[in-house]
Formats: sequence, structure tokens, C-alpha cells
Amino acid sequence: MGLALWLAAGLLIATAGFPRAAEAPPIAQVKKVTGPAAVVRSGERRPANVGDMLFVKDVIETGPDGAIGITFIDNTVFSAGPNSQLALDEFQFDSNNFRGSMLADMRQGTLAVVSGDITRSSPGAMKVKTPTAVLGVRGTTFAVQVYADH
Amino acid sequence: MRRPIIALACTIMLAGCPRQALFVVLPSEGGGVGAITVDDGKTVTTLDQPFAAAESRAGGSGPVEESRGTIGVIFQEAFAARPILPEHFRLYFILGSDELTPESAMAYRSVFDDVKRRPVYQIEVIGHTDTLGDLRFNQTLSLARAAAIRDRLVRDGVEPDAISIAGRGKLDPIVPTGDGVAEPRNRCVVITVR
Repeated sequence: MGLALWLAAGLLIATAGFPRAAEAPPIAQVKKVTGPAAVVRSGERRPANVGDMLFVKDVIETGPDGAIGITFIDNTVFSAGPNSQLALDEFQFDSNNFRGSMLADMRQGTLAVVSGDITRSSPGAMKVKTPTAVLGVRGTTFAVQVYADH
Repeated sequence: MRRPIIALACTIMLAGCPRQALFVVLPSEGGGVGAITVDDGKTVTTLDQPFAAAESRAGGSGPVEESRGTIGVIFQEAFAARPILPEHFRLYFILGSDELTPESAMAYRSVFDDVKRRPVYQIEVIGHTDTLGDLRFNQTLSLARAAAIRDRLVRDGVEPDAISIAGRGKLDPIVPTGDGVAEPRNRCVVITVR
């Protein structure tokens, strides 16, 4: 993630509305942003702001010195450090019965997770994919680091 | 020509290759016992103790010792970016009413204070009843309880759009009871602030 790319992302702010995932409800909200952080949706990269809603298939990216914290609607909490790339591949959650499933793709960087209600529904309901291994999560707090050169 | 030799060395001695990924279980605030499993397609490593760690290298993955200090350094920025964790509250109501008990009227303040400490927030208010009375009455009552809390929050300056409410009637009691049972603990709303 070069500096030029981040400058380009900054220049994009001025253009028209961020595309929304059609009809899909938001799955998470951006709660904290430090330094450069962006959301890539439908191939378009925009700076992430506190309060932004996130949708399935969004990709979160942080630059050098960037960090971001998000909270999902099932109360799962993610926070990513600098030079991270994290795709929200799958997310389903029914707040009536806590049933759902989640697949996040941690491609690079550091991620700390406090699991939420989705892990109550069934073991294996929450997965975090990395380039080398898949994590199954049973109700816990954990962290993942994926090195850039794998 | 060197690469195959290095790859072979990796499979023989995991530690000889550069680390590709690190996985660590951390102490949970609630103190609950959880676990993560690390599945690289060949081996599955289960981590179920605080600070238990596993790593991936070219030859595969497996448990590894990592000091708390090193973990703290590696994830320093990620930990610092952690949002305020979601909080749950219960407020209780007077029998057959959407009016809070005196104790819960006092406790309301802690809900409001929690909302105020968050830069952005989403709030869910779910109403419940005990099992006295019929389904329809209790459905209406549970929703009225949730609405009463929403209205109070909005009067106090909380963003209306950030609040969602629902009523579960007598079908989803906090304390399971038979039908027709007076149970003060079920006359409540559960509030989640995140």
C-alpha cells in the first residue's frame, strides 16, 4: 500500500456518493479511526470515517500509521493496526435467536477480535481466514498477525 | 536451485523459515473460557488458554511460545484501536405498566452515561413481559416498554435514528417460567449499547 495510493484515496473524497451494497443491511459500524484507513466497496476506495456503516464484501484497509476499530451488529469487535487488509466476506445474523455466521478474510496486518453473539449460535459459526490457515472461533478474545510477504 | 533446498529445510525444521502468521488467544474481559482453532489444511491447533499462541511458517503451523511483552508490542496499534466494547443493561418495570420501578428509574442514568461516552453509537432496546395475561396484551406491553425507554433517551438528546426497538411479549422471557406466572425479573427491557 504505497503513499501515492493513499493520496489518491484522499483525492476521491470530493467525488459523488459512496456506492451502497444494494438492499443489504449494514453489518457493522466504524467506531474509531487513526491515521489513514479506507473502505473498498465495489472496487472503489474511500477514506473511512467514524460512524460509517459497513456492508458484506467491504474490504477495510489501513495505511502506514493507520488503525481502525469496528463493531458488528452481533457485538463482535474488530480492531486492525497499520498496513492491514481485511475483507468482510460473509456475515449473517438474526438477533432474535443469535443464529448467524461470519467469515472475515485477514490478508495482511494485525487484527484484534472480541467475539460477539454469533459465536453463541454454534461452534464454527465464526471463521477468520488467513493466507496460511483458517481460524475457527469459539467465544473468545484473540489476535492475528499476517505478515506482508507470505 | 536453492529454493527447493530451502523448502525442504522448512518442512524438516519449521522454525528455520520466516513466520507468515501469528495467532494468539487473549484474556477475555468476561473471564469466559473460549478457544480458537488454527487449521492449515493438514494440522489443527487448538488454543484455549490466555496467551496461548500458534504460528504459520512455510513448512506448516503449530503452537509457539510468545511472551506477553512481544504480543503487546506486535498488536499495540490494533489494541489501541479497539472500540469501547458493547454494554448490556436491564431495566425493570412495574406490573402491567411501561413505567420503570424506582430502582430502575435510578439505573437509567447509567445507560444514558454509557451512550454519552461513545463518539458514535447504536442502541437496541428489547422489551419483555412476564407470562400473566394473554399473548396480545403482552406483545403490546413489551413493545410499549421498549418505546418508553427509546422516548426517554430521545428526550435526553440521544439520536433517534441510532435506536431500534422490539417487543418479544411473553414468548422470550429472561427467566423461563410456566404460563400465568408473575415474575418481576421478566418485566424488563434489555438494552444493548454499542
